Amino acid sequence: MTDGQLLRRREWDDEVVLFNDLSGATHLLSSTACWVLDRLATTADDVPGLTAALEAELAAEALDDRGGAGSADIGIDQDLLADLLANLHSLDLIEPC
Amino acid sequence: MLTVSSLTPTQLRARLRGPGLDFQTGPFVNRLHSNIPHLADGLAVLYGEYPLREPGGFANFHLDLSQPGGLRRWWRPQVRFEQDGQHPFKPLPVAQAQPFCEWMMNWCVSNRAHGYLIIHAAVIEKNGRAIILPAPPGSGKSTLCAALVCRGWRLLSDELALVRHDEGMLVPLPRPVSLKNRSIDVIRAFAPDAVFGAIVDGTMKGTVGLMRAPADSIRRAGEVATPHAIVFPQWEADAPAMLEPISRGQMFMRVADNSFNYTLIGARGFETLAALAERSAGYTFRYSKLEQAMAVFDTLVGDSP
Repeated sequence: MTDGQLLRRREWDDEVVLFNDLSGATHLLSSTACWVLDRLATTADDVPGLTAALEAELAAEALDDRGGAGSADIGIDQDLLADLLANLHSLDLIEPC
Repeated sequence: MLTVSSLTPTQLRARLRGPGLDFQTGPFVNRLHSNIPHLADGLAVLYGEYPLREPGGFANFHLDLSQPGGLRRWWRPQVRFEQDGQHPFKPLPVAQAQPFCEWMMNWCVSNRAHGYLIIHAAVIEKNGRAIILPAPPGSGKSTLCAALVCRGWRLLSDELALVRHDEGMLVPLPRPVSLKNRSIDVIRAFAPDAVFGAIVDGTMKGTVGLMRAPADSIRRAGEVATPHAIVFPQWEADAPAMLEPISRGQMFMRVADNSFNYTLIGARGFETLAALAERSAGYTFRYSKLEQAMAVFDTLVGDSP
């Protein structure tokens, strides 16, 4: 995360509006993008670590949707994840470490 | 309470040429100076019902729209806007004094009144439920707003939605509805009793006609309104009237894009707009026929609570 950045947010359905105190910019993000942002705020993941964490999160959500029955195997499209990280970077919300 | 109409034409001109005409629009007191007779006549038509304040009291905005002296007075006469000794805009032909006055009153609010979140939007209310119509020029916002107030909706504003920061209520600023070009005849045909000031050709927005605000809306300018929906209108030839829901996130971003001071006021603007979005449903609205649009809006607010 960018140093000194404070984020305010509101989440409605699968969308999040995010206000960046540092830049004064407001962004409309998917809830997945916001989850990635939160993860990176607390954990300095590399891409494989982030992929594993996101897969685990989505699998847990899928199981939850099914009332805990069965199992869920979620595969993350690496190109989509790379695009998402590039977008967050272009919005100055994250920076490479 | 005295209103501007309590002044005779001679007294009105004397105020404008002398201490200034102090009158209230919504939460603001304006002090207007002018030496232009037809501007005084236009104010009598459009602002007769507004509260008159005694000269010399507190005024939020000090405006001077006067015709400069010298040779210019006889050769292509102009009106010049002055505020606090500054001339932030180029002069315009004197025939455009009335619309210029409206634009400058809007400019004062949108540049100074940051105690509110200010959205470029019309606001109308019925049955205690206010609808905000944010839209860029050319969307049919003012035409729709004029038609609704001619059918009994309360006018809060044609141009500037004022949102209170503490609890997101809408503060009325009822002023004349500014109609452009074909919309003037459309509303004259739709509401033959609507009162207009002089129709002014050749402005930067084309032909402009200012429709007087309903007296009841002016009288109720102190009553804040509860937001119910945010509707983005778009007039489209032959389109059936159609209301389509949009997500709160998209609504938030579109309102922010239509705000005069959202970026300027920072986190406070975000919190106010978020509160507004939480209590309002969002829609896009396409229409071509005003009668159909009236029916859709009546359905949207439902019956009296």
